[in-house]
Amino acid sequence: MTRWDETRDRAARWILASEEPEWSSADQASLDLWLAEATMHRVAYLRLQQSWRQAGRLRALQDGRSIAVEPVSEDKAAKLFDTDRHRAHTRFRSRAFAWAPIAAAASLLIMIGAGLLALSWPGMRSAPVATAEFETAMGARRIVGLPDGSKVELNTASLVRTAVGKARREVWLDRGEAYFEVAHDRLHPFVIHAGGRQITVLGTKFSIRCDGDRVTVSVLEGRVRVDDVEDGRAIRSTIMNGGDVAMSRGSSTLVRTKSGEQIKNEFAWREGMLHFEQQALSDVLAEFNRYNARKLKVADPAVGTIRIGGMFPASKPRAFANLLRDAYGLKIEESGETIRISE
Amino acid sequence: MRRMVGRARRSEPEMVEQEELDGWFCREVLPLERSLTHFVRRNWRVQDDVMDLTHDIYERAYSGARNGLPSSTRHYLFAVARNHLINRARRERIVSFELVADLEAIGGGDRVFTADSQLNARDTLRHVQAGMEKLTPRVREIVWLRKVEGFNVQETADRLGIGKDAVNRQLMLGMKALADHILGGSGKIVRRRYSAQRERSSEE
Repeated sequence: MTRWDETRDRAARWILASEEPEWSSADQASLDLWLAEATMHRVAYLRLQQSWRQAGRLRALQDGRSIAVEPVSEDKAAKLFDTDRHRAHTRFRSRAFAWAPIAAAASLLIMIGAGLLALSWPGMRSAPVATAEFETAMGARRIVGLPDGSKVELNTASLVRTAVGKARREVWLDRGEAYFEVAHDRLHPFVIHAGGRQITVLGTKFSIRCDGDRVTVSVLEGRVRVDDVEDGRAIRSTIMNGGDVAMSRGSSTLVRTKSGEQIKNEFAWREGMLHFEQQALSDVLAEFNRYNARKLKVADPAVGTIRIGGMFPASKPRAFANLLRDAYGLKIEESGETIRISE
Repeated sequence: MRRMVGRARRSEPEMVEQEELDGWFCREVLPLERSLTHFVRRNWRVQDDVMDLTHDIYERAYSGARNGLPSSTRHYLFAVARNHLINRARRERIVSFELVADLEAIGGGDRVFTADSQLNARDTLRHVQAGMEKLTPRVREIVWLRKVEGFNVQETADRLGIGKDAVNRQLMLGMKALADHILGGSGKIVRRRYSAQRERSSEE
């Protein structure tokens, strides 16, 4: 409970008590004392009192001066309860509405994807598995629908090849980062090859990122198996669940479990944002540089060790540099496509 | 007109009277809550903190105004908000980019937040009704008995066959949720969650 929760509760109690018939002048004096004790008491009290008074306008509904928002029946309390059903309905409708553009965009992309397949391989229509290649430029993002109903979202500067059909579901992440929403199919595991690792799923949401020989797998929902592959054989396997992040390099794999909020941050790029948890400035700048032609650089290594946390738009390196200047008092210097940061 | 009065007040050296200060806070500061919480929400990444931060800003704004009411409440309130968020962010070493970008927009003038116009009585009633709809049926019923039927705690308890404590608890929940709705926040009943907040703050 925060200090404000406590203060709000106490203020609410005072307001309720002061409306009771047994409220005395001694009570009023204690209330005045409490209010004078701290400004936080006073503002919390004034705020609740103000809106509580406004709630008194509901009384207009009682004596027929009602407005036409809702009909008022004999038992008004019961009447208001009826709105629960209505509320559930609106909530559902608004959710459907919120998803509509996304669904429309997704289906459009599936159509584009299908079009691409047909164009690239005109003779393979009857073949059970069509292969395709999808690429994004620096700073770009792209959603691709696959024939099995799965969805791949490519982050900046990424390359994905797919061989997905009824009998086989296989994807290669050759470069960059991608988020997968794999359609559930028990009989046909969805296999992704990324930098010496093989990731196998039945149906789930997760992302994979390749940086040279390092492969990072972040699982949002469901279960994923990461195999360390040598000569086409899995020599080691790691099972991951929702909230897990596995970082692999060479023969080692490190799995960390994150909280719900933290794991969501791993996917911030899907909204065009970068999220950092107290990371070194040099790492933060490297992240920005994945997305932009305009590069951020530290002028001396000491500056690179400053820890940064927060959420920032990936496409605005200049604005981020301005923030470093304003909030941390660092100097920024721009020449051509490079922004240099120094103490 | 209001602004001119404000400026005249500002030149007076003595402290502002309590009553005048309370009136100013209710009349000029609270109606800005929708803009203020919007601003805080945009600039603070832990959404659970928004209500507390808003209250911190009220506390500072109120204290600061003791020495003289500001000529523009809006500019004053957002300046206080900006400083408070930056200070908190510095202390926690977390700064969001939008904090800085947004502050420039605020300096740009009143046009940005014209939405908080004064509501007329009819709008207010509609607004309160919408707030009532967001309450759970139990809380709504008890608030109704209190605010509309005029029942006191004992009468409400008798009528519903529950204890006075239970009535008070529900009224408190309702009062707080209505305040959040009427003044512009979410208006959902918040039952406290201990775990999430604690975990996060211990990590940071």
